Amino acid sequence: MNIETIIIIIVNISLAVFLAVGLTPVFVWWERRVSGFMQDRSGPNRCNIGPLRLGGLIQSFADMLKLVFKEDFTPAHIKYKFFFTLAPAIVFICSFLTFATIPFADNLVINGKEHMMQAIPNQLGIMWFLAFAGLSVYGIILGGYSSASKYGLLGSIRASAQVISYEAAMGLSIISILISYGSIHLADMVNAQTGTYLGVIPMWGIFIQPLAAIIFIVCAFAETNRAPFDIAEGESEIVAGYHTEYSAMRFGLFQVGEYSAMSASSAIIVTLFFGGYHLPWLDTATIQNNINIVIIALIVLLPIKVFVLTSWMKKNNKAIGENVSRLKETKILTIAFWGITVVIVSILALFLVTGLGTNGVNIATAVIQIGTFLAKFFLMAFVYIWVRWTVLRFRYDQLQMLGWKVLLPLALANIVITAIVVVVLGS
Amino acid sequence: MGIKVVQRHGKSFKDKLYLPAIAGGMKTTITHFFKNLKDVDNLKTMHYPEVQPTDITDRYRGVHRLTKWEDDNTEKCVACYMCATACPADCIFIEAQERFDDKAEKRPKEFKIDLLECVYCGYCVEACPCDAIRMDTGIFSLTGTKREDFVLDKKALMANERSKDFSND
Repeated sequence: MNIETIIIIIVNISLAVFLAVGLTPVFVWWERRVSGFMQDRSGPNRCNIGPLRLGGLIQSFADMLKLVFKEDFTPAHIKYKFFFTLAPAIVFICSFLTFATIPFADNLVINGKEHMMQAIPNQLGIMWFLAFAGLSVYGIILGGYSSASKYGLLGSIRASAQVISYEAAMGLSIISILISYGSIHLADMVNAQTGTYLGVIPMWGIFIQPLAAIIFIVCAFAETNRAPFDIAEGESEIVAGYHTEYSAMRFGLFQVGEYSAMSASSAIIVTLFFGGYHLPWLDTATIQNNINIVIIALIVLLPIKVFVLTSWMKKNNKAIGENVSRLKETKILTIAFWGITVVIVSILALFLVTGLGTNGVNIATAVIQIGTFLAKFFLMAFVYIWVRWTVLRFRYDQLQMLGWKVLLPLALANIVITAIVVVVLGS
Repeated sequence: MGIKVVQRHGKSFKDKLYLPAIAGGMKTTITHFFKNLKDVDNLKTMHYPEVQPTDITDRYRGVHRLTKWEDDNTEKCVACYMCATACPADCIFIEAQERFDDKAEKRPKEFKIDLLECVYCGYCVEACPCDAIRMDTGIFSLTGTKREDFVLDKKALMANERSKDFSND
């Protein structure tokens, strides 16, 4: 094992850890601010370190610190303390491991050796996702059951019933995707989504398999136990469902597990249906052949984006009354953003002048693809939050009706149609 | 009177599809989101401690004050104990003493209101025969670091003035 391999493995694993766990504070921040803006209120924006508020991001770090330092309380009536402690860990680890087979970029070739850009380089792909997404509900069931309270038990029963019914429709919708892609390996699926229909529409999964895409997205929402399918938590009916008896960091692990399940689901949706790490209309070979044009485009686009961002900040991060700390923050952040931009642009210009070499071009392509993946991933996570603050929670019978009477027959019909089309076209 | 036929929704194919309705809802929320993101002044909330509300009505019952004679700024209160008697929360404590100018025969030596006990019902204002106690300061948030900070004495109550936001008719 040489040094490049080790570096690539470290980069992949840390990327997976960052996306699955490290983004939880960011998503909590989004959840609060986005919901606030959607409801014409401002959301938490006061927590600060010196003049830096970062639009309220500090608040989620403060909340995390609070959870870490709170007393880890176990109610006296709980008999099986081991299971009670184990449950949040199962939820957390399963949602975290789901990320392991998501490809962040196309296979990276360095000195003639191919490296898979995913945290655990195996071919299991979608099967791994199904296994761990299904497993994480065990943690919820165990948590609710070992809480020895009625609300916890009700929550976990609801969660298990819901996951079983939606797992079926999800698996069937995946089968039709497998038929059209012909592989379970996610990188193969992403590479199958390059190219275009009629030269205009990118050949993404959502255009090849629209019905499967809708079914899968709905089931993925149900799988993560988020609104409109959050009856396991159901705070208006059963207090807090499976985590009623939990406090401190054990509750925090449930919370982190929920958000990492959300990021894993958005990553898998992006990978399956929105072209994964591919820029639309540009496949890996095109980027590698035209790397100079891409770099010039980046050099032009980056300052424009930062200009828009800083002018937005100048307009909206105003002093309130006597308090001028926000003006100071705007000044600091503007300088920071422009500094980063200047550094990046000068590095890119240096690449343009000196040229990159084969390995350099491959690495640059991988970085661009990771950036593309991240952009799509964040957009999908935003859709998760957007849906949560729009759609109401399903009633329990409506939920089962949707799962068994609508999604399952549709998924079955979709398999038949896909199979017929594939056989007739002979592809 | 004719019979009004109420249209039942949810039977048509479009309603049963459910996705158009979700799309409509999502359009509404995203319009609000971008409207507020573009200009945070569109938010309906105010940045409270820096920006104070100005739309408190004249009838708002805030922290009490003792009214004063205009000529010599002494209290109008005659220590009749009417307010303390009317008070349902028992939060008014008055100590009377003789008054030697020609305004009245008695005056309060000490007049304390425990605002942690007070329910802001306004009965003391109703009961006062001399218009000596009022709740028109417009102070809606009183903060302190210890319990004693919330017991206002005569000096504090007389220092309170009628809110400038209220009309002076």
